[in-house]
Amino acid sequence: MNILKDVLSELFSMFIADARLTGAILATVVIAALLINLTRLPDLVGGAVLLVGCIAVLFLSVMREPARRASQRSEG
Amino acid sequence: MLEWSTAGPAVGAAFLASIVEVVEAFTIVLVVATLRGWKPAVLGTGAALFVLAAVVVILGPLLDQVPLHLLQLVIGVLLLLFGIGWLRKAALRAGGVIPLHDEDAIFAKESAGLSAEVERQKTSQDWIAGIAAFKAVLLEGLEVIFIVIAVGAGRGLLWQASLGALAACALVLVIGAIAHRPLARVPENTLKFGVGVMLSAFGVFWTGEGLGVDWPGHDLALFVFAVLFLVAGLMAARMVRQPLKEAMQ
Repeated sequence: MNILKDVLSELFSMFIADARLTGAILATVVIAALLINLTRLPDLVGGAVLLVGCIAVLFLSVMREPARRASQRSEG
Repeated sequence: MLEWSTAGPAVGAAFLASIVEVVEAFTIVLVVATLRGWKPAVLGTGAALFVLAAVVVILGPLLDQVPLHLLQLVIGVLLLLFGIGWLRKAALRAGGVIPLHDEDAIFAKESAGLSAEVERQKTSQDWIAGIAAFKAVLLEGLEVIFIVIAVGAGRGLLWQASLGALAACALVLVIGAIAHRPLARVPENTLKFGVGVMLSAFGVFWTGEGLGVDWPGHDLALFVFAVLFLVAGLMAARMVRQPLKEAMQ
């Protein structure tokens, strides 16, 4: 059971290591999907939103981390 | 005939990502072999490879039943979560925000942990060591399987991606057998950075295709996405490094 627990926890952490990052990526995908499926804009606009959104999520997530760690240290 | 622009990124991503995972599994297997001998290490590894083969045999035919667009969308989203997570961590390591992965340190830590576990449970010491090797190979192997499926399934490149992963296993095993120590000199963060870039690029590509986007340039768009993710990752790593240096001064 311990091995199964470890396997499930590893699979979970593969995709959801950081809840905010996961949420931001999923939100970007949903926005792109809505633009593609519910508007009359060309599909490529939704694709561009997906690409730029994911790059922005990555960039902001990296930039935010030092400040987050610093505030955790000061609270601890 | 298969084009290089189609197969190259899939095989390359599977090869590089598998090197990272196999190096991590090899470190644990080496701990087991060093402390308890090669028998439990080989038995644990063999049992894990058997389970992984069973997973592939069961999952393989199921993939053919899933509609292509749905498969691309699901795999694309999972690749985005996995790839951007890797790229973020690699950028933070490159920027000095989190420490680099050190195989020598992991070897020492796992050795101490396994010794303590064996000491605590005096009976069946080889069994405990074999389980440690089994878990390491199974967990890292599952990541390799996911990556192979993720980069290969959307274009019918499962065999080519599998060969990339197998080549990585063979390379690590040959170098490991010669060196007989943890492969600490593998530039793991550089590899993770590169793999994170490729997986993120594949993630955007498959997710877009799954949603119905017809990317201009088709497969060549992957290279453009990869360059954009690479530039963003490098810029972010550089920018988080600056404040750290200023703080040190």
